[in-house]
Amino acid sequence: MKGISHFAIGAAAASCFPDAVEAGAAGNPLYFILGGVFGLLPDTLDFKFTRFFFKHDIEVSPDPNRPDPRAIAGAVAHAVNRAFETRRPLSIKLDTVRLGADRWQRYEVIFDVLRRRVVVRYGPQVDTGGTPITGTGTRPPLEAAAPLACDVRLDYLAVTQVDIFDGPVFRMTPLEDGTVAPEFIPWHRAWSHSFTIGLLCAGVCGVIFGPLAAMVAAAALAGHILTDQLGHMGCNLFYPFSKKRTQGSRLMHAGQSWPNFAAVWISCLVIFWNLYRRTAGVPPLSPIRLAAFALGLPALLLNLARRLWSKVTRISTTPGL
Amino acid sequence: MIAAAVATVLGTALSSVLSCLPGLHVYNVMSLLVMGAHALRAQGHALPAEVVVPFAIGLTVGYALLSNIPSVLLAAPDESALFTVLPGQKFLMAGRGYEGTLITAAGGLAGLCALVLIVGPLAPRLLPAAGMVFRPHTHWILWCVICFMLMSEWPKGGTRGQAGLRRFSDGWKTTGMGLLTFALSGLLGFLLFYRSPIPIEAAFQNIMPAFVGLFTLPWLLLNVVSRVEAPPQCVPAGSIGLDAMTLLRGTFAGCLGGGFAAFFPVITGGVGGLLAGHATATRDDRVFLVSQGASKLVYYVAGLLLLFVPGLGLTRGGAASMLKGLFVPRTVYDYLLALASVALAGATAFLLVGPLTRAVIGLMRRYTYRRMSAAALLAVLALVFGVTGCMGLAVMAVAGAIGMIPVLYGSRRMNCLGVILLPMACNMSGAGPTVARWLGLL
Repeated sequence: MKGISHFAIGAAAASCFPDAVEAGAAGNPLYFILGGVFGLLPDTLDFKFTRFFFKHDIEVSPDPNRPDPRAIAGAVAHAVNRAFETRRPLSIKLDTVRLGADRWQRYEVIFDVLRRRVVVRYGPQVDTGGTPITGTGTRPPLEAAAPLACDVRLDYLAVTQVDIFDGPVFRMTPLEDGTVAPEFIPWHRAWSHSFTIGLLCAGVCGVIFGPLAAMVAAAALAGHILTDQLGHMGCNLFYPFSKKRTQGSRLMHAGQSWPNFAAVWISCLVIFWNLYRRTAGVPPLSPIRLAAFALGLPALLLNLARRLWSKVTRISTTPGL
Repeated sequence: MIAAAVATVLGTALSSVLSCLPGLHVYNVMSLLVMGAHALRAQGHALPAEVVVPFAIGLTVGYALLSNIPSVLLAAPDESALFTVLPGQKFLMAGRGYEGTLITAAGGLAGLCALVLIVGPLAPRLLPAAGMVFRPHTHWILWCVICFMLMSEWPKGGTRGQAGLRRFSDGWKTTGMGLLTFALSGLLGFLLFYRSPIPIEAAFQNIMPAFVGLFTLPWLLLNVVSRVEAPPQCVPAGSIGLDAMTLLRGTFAGCLGGGFAAFFPVITGGVGGLLAGHATATRDDRVFLVSQGASKLVYYVAGLLLLFVPGLGLTRGGAASMLKGLFVPRTVYDYLLALASVALAGATAFLLVGPLTRAVIGLMRRYTYRRMSAAALLAVLALVFGVTGCMGLAVMAVAGAIGMIPVLYGSRRMNCLGVILLPMACNMSGAGPTVARWLGLL
């Protein structure tokens, strides 16, 4: 999920502790800050620290002036084949292709499992927001494939888009059944996204700020791990006792708008309800009424609007109309 | 009624001129007008509320809708821009500044409609209770916003080469500079709050030189120094091609961000927009422009309207603070008058967007971009000197140096808001005087 969702879930977790709410009302912001910060901490550790110290064996830097999908596909296939032959993991980093201040060349790396090959396809140029720039890209797209010496077993998506900022790392890990698993960004959702390290961090927090702070931190970290587990990649839940990420439930993608917005909105409602319960002199409000008006009604209206919009779009794109 | 309508239109017309001058904020002008009104009242010529309120609302709505014109047309990025080319700048550099301005204004108008038609009727029922619930908790909400703002600036560099400290330090260049910007502007804020060098007679404009230095001066200076020229701008004859879904998505995000910023103290429209952009995962440039327009309008106008909501009595934003000195709203009539003035001012300002944008584009054709920026720079310097004197210029220079850091290193300019966020958050948690003592300011 996106950072703001994790932060909001962490703050909502803090609001579930009556003492934290009392402290907040009395002018002490500590527990809510800890909730938000620990809610975002696992991703902060990964993206601001771990990724810079994760070593790779091969780095592919495509030439911005001479697009060559064959070279990229060859390098990825070589990494898989080499890991298969040596029976040792091998990491490969794919760099992004920056063309200007706000222009990047997108390319896709596809693990074609059935045909045992790697395909690299050049896409359109995109801006820093990831939006394709009209009029760029070729028809048919520039594409190349390289054969693999073994089967691959995917732990994430078959297609990886490489476009803005930092490119991905794949760790080609040979498995006991003779296949190779291309682990997508192996530095992410590893030790930082485990309940064991979470408890350790919460313990440290407790030593510094007291038991309530430890509970808030633990709840916020657990909230982060559990919500990430709803996605595809999963987390290494019990590091160092478990070595690999446990696959997620694949209910959503981390960057999708609606799950993220829903997470933030529901967190805000939880915070409101927890603060409301401890405020004297406010008009009576039942949780069912709150849920109906602040959750059910907007969801219904938005769903109606979406259906209506898709109907309108379908009508306007139907040939002959 | 006619007097109120005329005052609204006059206020909007005045703001249409003010909005096109980069660096000039409506609150600067409003404070001078309020001083004039106080002087008149002292002489026994008090202005009626039916004139003062609509005029102030006209000024605010007009500014919120029309100040997008210079922010899109007069903010060209130079070649040093790293990852910070904003959607408005993209439109400008593609020769589509007119289109970008109109899309932003459409967002503003949609935000205004949401404010008048949806929030307006519901506010007296919902906001007083929400105000009671959140009032003792605003300080930690502000701290959480600060923490998220700082934590959510991810490293942009360090993407090449082998792992290690070199990559780490390269990656942290922008993020570290963002944190430094926040810390330095926060220190400046403490200085201005606790031992301001601004003369006492200009105390009502205490923060203005710092804001000009942090936000306006850097890009005007850069425009003058970098010799960047915006390409010729085309004015499309037909529609700007804004579809309903883009408008709805942008308005939704903008209203959320602007509403959040308006309701909670110290949080600005930009911060609200950032939060809403993250929450709704806004990536498309058009959606972003619409959301910016809606967020800005809702932030300024809702902040002022909160003063009028019966049973709430919240004072948010500079306009409400200044107006409160002249007039305290008490009845539902005042609220309805304010809502009607908002609707009329919005309609008037929106009609002015097209002609004013074309006029600014005409000026851009006639004078070079650099000359226009130089003229704006001189106007800003004159304004700061005129209102706050030499000390104001000194504060502006210090703030300008801090404001250059994000421009040079490609970090978020929003970190400059530390100038108000840090001291206010400390004060609201009761830690402000202690921190000021540590800094030797007390």
